Parts: sequence; C-alpha cells; structure tokens
Amino acid sequence: MNKVIRTSLAGLLTSTFMTGAAFAAGTHPETGEALADDQTFTYRILDEHSSVDPQVVEDVSGAEIVRDLFEGLMNQDEDGNLVPGVSTGYTTNESKDVYTFALRDDAKWSNGDPVTAGDFVYAWKRAVDPALSSPYAWFMELMSIENAASIIAGETPVDELGVKAIDDKTLEVTLSAPLPYFPQMTTHSTTFPAPQKVIEEFGDAWTKPENIVSNGAYVLTEHLPQERSVRERNEMYWDNDNTIIDTVVSLVINDENVALTRYLAGELDRTEIPAGQYPRLKQEHPVEAISFPRLCNYYYTFNVSDGGPEAFKDPNVRQALSLAVDRKIITEKVLAGGQPQAYTFAPEATAGFTVPAVEMASMSQAERDELAKELLAEAGYGPDNPLSFEMVYNTAENHKKVAVALSQMWKQKLGVQAELANMEWKVFLEERGNQNFDLARGAWCGDYNEASTFLDLLQSDSGYNDGKFANARVDELLAEAKTSDDPAPLYTEVERIIAQETPVIPIYHYAGVYMMDSDVGNWPVNNVEQNWYSKNLYKLAE
Amino acid sequence: MLAYSLRRLLVAIPTILLLIVACFFLMHFAPGGPFTSERPLPPAVLANIEARYGLDQPLWKQLWDYLYNIVVHFDFGPSFKFKDRDVNDIIAQGFPISLTYGSLSFLVATAVGVSLGIAAAIKHNSWIDYFAVGLGIAAQALPNFIMGPILILTFTLWLGWLPGGGWNGGQWQYLIMPVIALATSYMGSIARITRSSMLEVLNSNFIRTARAKGLPTRTVIWRHALKPTLLPVVSYLGPVFVYVLTGSVFVDIYFSTGGLGQAYVGSALSRDYAVLLGVTILYGALTVVVNLLTDLAYAWFDPKIRY
Repeated sequence: MNKVIRTSLAGLLTSTFMTGAAFAAGTHPETGEALADDQTFTYRILDEHSSVDPQVVEDVSGAEIVRDLFEGLMNQDEDGNLVPGVSTGYTTNESKDVYTFALRDDAKWSNGDPVTAGDFVYAWKRAVDPALSSPYAWFMELMSIENAASIIAGETPVDELGVKAIDDKTLEVTLSAPLPYFPQMTTHSTTFPAPQKVIEEFGDAWTKPENIVSNGAYVLTEHLPQERSVRERNEMYWDNDNTIIDTVVSLVINDENVALTRYLAGELDRTEIPAGQYPRLKQEHPVEAISFPRLCNYYYTFNVSDGGPEAFKDPNVRQALSLAVDRKIITEKVLAGGQPQAYTFAPEATAGFTVPAVEMASMSQAERDELAKELLAEAGYGPDNPLSFEMVYNTAENHKKVAVALSQMWKQKLGVQAELANMEWKVFLEERGNQNFDLARGAWCGDYNEASTFLDLLQSDSGYNDGKFANARVDELLAEAKTSDDPAPLYTEVERIIAQETPVIPIYHYAGVYMMDSDVGNWPVNNVEQNWYSKNLYKLAE
Repeated sequence: MLAYSLRRLLVAIPTILLLIVACFFLMHFAPGGPFTSERPLPPAVLANIEARYGLDQPLWKQLWDYLYNIVVHFDFGPSFKFKDRDVNDIIAQGFPISLTYGSLSFLVATAVGVSLGIAAAIKHNSWIDYFAVGLGIAAQALPNFIMGPILILTFTLWLGWLPGGGWNGGQWQYLIMPVIALATSYMGSIARITRSSMLEVLNSNFIRTARAKGLPTRTVIWRHALKPTLLPVVSYLGPVFVYVLTGSVFVDIYFSTGGLGQAYVGSALSRDYAVLLGVTILYGALTVVVNLLTDLAYAWFDPKIRY
C-alpha cells in the first residue's frame, strides 16, 4: 500500500512540476517503449561510500555515484566503448606522448559556470598534490602523466604536472612515456574535473549536498550516511534533454539477504544475488535474475619468495595443484551464479585480449587429474611423502566454500594436506603483503579495460605481486606491451608463460549476478567494467 | 545525594581514561591499518596520508594529541574513511537515530514486560499467568538477530505492510520492526523478574497487614506492593538500557537505520581509529551515567537506601 501511495504521489508531483520531466508519461525517443511516470531508479549498495569527491573516492559504489555527479573527458557506452564526455574528441602526436582534448562549449557546472580546461588542470594537480594525499594518486602515475610520480613523492612542485590549459576549451596532456590506451583511462573518476571555487570556499565539506557543485547529469540532493544518498537531474547538464531518469536513490544495506527481501518486496530496482541462490531465483524470476561476465578474476597465489615453502619453488608442484582443481564444480555447484571458469589470469571479457590456447583448458578433468598425479610424483610427493601446506583466505562465506572445495579436491585426487586458515580482511592483507603465507586467495578487478591491468600484477617489481613471482621474459613482454600498437600477441605470450610456470591458480572470473527489475531499461550488461551511467537508463511503464 | 553523584562522576573520569588508553593500544596493535588496502599504496602516497593524520608520530604522541584535542577542543578527530566528515559529525548524525531506537525499545520492553509480570502475579496460576509466563519465556528466547529476519519476512515480504528498513526521517512505519526486534527478549526477562518479585512481595507481612485492615486489592497493589516489586526490576533496567543502545548495533545494520551501529562495526573493520574510539567512549560514558542513574533510582524505590 505504501508503495502505491508513494508512486501516485510521485506521479502527482511530476505532473505538477513538469520541469525536466519531459519524458515522463511519454515514450522512449529511440526505442518507442512506453516510459513509466515515476523515473526513479533505486538500488542497493553494500557499504557507505567513502566520498563523492572525484579525486578522493576509492570504492566502487562511491565511483558509481561520482560518475553520475561528475563527467570526465570521455565516457563509456553500453558496451564499454569510448564516447565523448566533456571532451568532443582528442588528437595525439606521432609518438603518442602528447594528447590534446577539445572540450565542448555547452558543458556547465550545476551553478551555471562553464566547464573549462582549467577545471581539469586544477583537478589533476589536486589528485597528485601531497597536501590532498589522495589514495588514488597512483592512478595519475599509472596514466604516465609527466612528473606525476615525483610530485607525489614530494620531489617536484605540483605546478610541474604535465597538463595545461591551452585555452578555456583545449586541454593538453604530456606523458612521460607513450601510452596507447591513455584516453580509456580518462573515464576514471580520479580524472574528473573539480570546482576550484567551491572547494576553496568549503574545504573538506564541499561534497555535502548543500555545498556541492558538479558537472554531471545529476546533482547530490540528500545524503544520510549509512542510510541513503539521493541524486536528482542537473538542469544545467549539457545533455539534460536526453536524460530520462529523474532521481537516483542508493540505499546502504549491509546484509545481502535483507537486500534481496527488500527487492522482492518491491523496494529496490536492483540488488546483488547472494551466492548459491541464482539457480532458484532464475527459476522463479527468469527475467529479473541476470548474470553476465565482469572484469574481475579470482585466484590463489603461491608464495614463491625466498621465505616461501620449498615445495612451491618447483613449477611441477604448482601446476599439479592447478590441474587438479575442477573449476566446473566450483562455478556450477559451489557458486552457481553463471561465473566463467578461469584458465588464464586475465578474463576473456577483457577488450583486445585473445585468450591463448592454454593446454589445460582443452583437456578433460580426468586427463588433468592424471597429469597432476604424474607431475606431483615427479616432484617427489606421494602417499609416503604427502605434500602439506596452509592456504589462507579472508573471512567470508563464499571464500570458505571455495577453499573447502579446493582442499577436498586436492586431498581426494592427490593426497595433499591443505590446511585452511581464514583471517579478517586487514590482517589478511597485511600477512599476504608480507609473504607470511603458503598459498593465498587473491582477486582483482580491472582498473581499465585492458589486459595489462591484470597481467601487471605478475611483473616482478609490482607492488601487488604478493607471491613474488619473477620471470624476466614476462617483465620484458609487459614492458614492451606498454608502448606497442598491438599488444595482444604479447599478452597472449605472457599468459602462455603463466600457464607453464603457474605462479597462480586462476579459478574463475567474476560475474555480475543481479536481481534487476524488468522495468529498468538499458542496463549495460555488456560493459564488463560495469561502468554504468544513470543518464543512460530508463524506467518502463508497467 | 548531590555529593554522592559528584563523587561518582569524578571516579568516572579515570575509568573512561583507562578505557580510552586500553582501546587506543588494542586498536593500534591489531594488524593492518586504516590505509592497508588490496591495492597497496605507493610508499610516497602512504607517507603523505600518514603525515596528514599524524600517524607518523610515535604512539604516545598520538595518544597525547588525541586526548588534548578532546579535552581542549572537544574534537574527537577525523574519520580516515569518510573524508568529508569527522567523528563529531558521525556521532551527531548517527547517535540520535540509535538513541531513538534504543529508548523506544526500552520503553516498550519495560511497559509491556512490567504489565505482563504484574498481571501474571496477581492472577497467579490462572490462564493469564500461564500465558504471560509462556510469552515471557518465548520472547526471552528470541534475540534481536532472530527477531529481525522473522519480522522482515512476515511484515515486508509476505504481508507487505512495513518497509524492510531505512530511516526516512523517523516515520513510524520505519520504527516498528526494529523496535520490536530489539525489545522482545528484554521484555521477556523483565516480565519474569517482575512476576517473581511481585509474588514474593504479595506474600510478605506488610501486604498481609494491608489486606487485613481491609484495603481494596487495587490500593494494596498500587500503593504498597508496586514500589518494592520494582526494586529488582530497576536494578535490571540499568544494564538493559545500555544493552538496547549497544544492541541497536545489530538493528542498525540489519534494518539499515543510519544509526551508529554501522559506523561502529565498519570502523573496526576498516581500522578507522578515531571513529572506533569516539563511539567506544560515547558508549562507555553512557554506561557510567546510566549506572549512576540506576543507583539514584534505588533510593527513590527503597527508602532504606541513603547516599
């Protein structure tokens, strides 16, 4: 009943104040579908977001909100392709280390001020400024912007960052090394413009609803931390006429089962499906339960550092353990959410990445088990001398299920004794980062849609390489890929080496497993990074 | 009584100070820090952040600065996780919500529990008694984390009467389920304590005297039996008030109320030191104050007690 009242009230309001609600009670301009009167999209987020400051935000749900509130140089479309944002396009010099972006004339801040190249220069300098100490400052370093690294380290003044405003509508970026996928990285929230005047006036409090000024399709109108955040359409946005959703509400619901219940009661348009419940929900709600590949991997990493177990220094042992993992059982029986099985480190869904013909993928599980036994015997382990080690994962129901399945597979097939140990998240990160483990769980989501975001983890000097795998050829290939016009074959070769050396056991690649109200139109299931923009969604009439 | 209260409050200062110091060190000894993350920050970035929050200082200096800021500026420090809010903001926003749920649950548990207990004792060994005792025991066996799911499934999913969570300015529809979830088990205990206490009082000499001189039952109960009956109940209510406030942690999380619970648990997991300490101090101080109020209430219920 409550919902009925709310819906009719909202309908009344929209019909009374027609401002910006040009599409309400209308049809979609392109598809011709009938649109709902109430264009409100309500979705669940797991945890309170860290911030809506583009240069400070560090979590996924915060970045989702920031993508609605602010707009960067480039956006992504439904398939993850690059489309113009504040910039209408870019040019680059021959050596691909200087990019020039042209900004559109009609881009405005929500207070009516024009968005200028200077706003980007301010924001990018702000991101690397030690005074702000942004947790995402490293992203500017990753973008290879000239002097970013030494500014962050405090060795160079902030003003020497390789970015400048040629005029109000032209932005020039100088890189320290050529980077073919640089424009893709400008869809990341750290690179979004920031309103200097507002930040200087309000300090850290500038992101509060009463102070914030933003240049995206929405403005922040309400925020009760740990409960909800509401954003409404920005009348000043240059493409406001083509925006259909009026209001976006994100509700913080920690417990995924409560979220599911509230979804089923009609309070939410979107929520995550708890592990193991997808098959049942798919049967009961075939249209609403959806699963699609995402740009994240799930793996176990061997500690091959000097302090690691002797056994894992033998590639045969590592490969045997990887072979004996029945990925089909894990994805279909344990998780049951439509996750793809993983035989490579980078997900197949990664743009421009050709999955190499890894030998293991083409074998049957029985053949793999047979080979695993042989390899392990060759390495000197067997019934008389069983291999034993400890495997650690961070405390969570899903991870436990996978770990139990893995240890059982190893025990039954190879007689391996794997002892399970779970740790609270921060403890786990600390122990893994200090190589205090034998075998540890790992997972990674791409920062951008390119294989290097995954494969760089296995570079010998990478700060994220917790297993301390070092292979000179891999390092060489990855360095070459950074400047190559066609890095795909290089990545394929890296994956072949990884398959041979097995520093990690890829287990599965993540899937987005959601309950999505059938009224929600245009959810970008093909965008593997799940960079979605509320301005591209719409609600259908029921 | 005033002197007694002042003395108690003075003793509370070292208690809370001890609490702060113990928490401070426990927190810092837990592995991992606020900026430990899956993507380890480059050392230069980490150094910048630590310098900004003074985490590069020796521990004793950090503790000293922390205490100094509380005493001199009443500033409980910044949040490491939520950059646009400090601890004072977080408590100012979340505590009134938690307090609302806690106080309402306390009132409901006390009112219903005491009434049920008295009714059971007066109608001893009747169906009312059996019903009240049964209900009390059942309620006691239903902690908030069991009540939460039961309520939400029943009233949100099946009946569709109540919203499954949220605050929404504290509208009554949003308050009902969390309050019931929080109040139920305490209500059960209060009912049982009240019933046995009332039975004992009703069998005592002064009640027999009151009845013998011909006072109507109503007067006997209200004028003479009630006050002594409530004495053990009051001693239980003090801790209950603290329990419902801290117990609201679960309710805050489960019903997404926007109260302090989420911030509290979240800050422990993310090592948001100042938030964790701030909320701990708040609950610690509250416990001290409530215990004092309970002791003062004794004096009112039992004239034999003097401070």
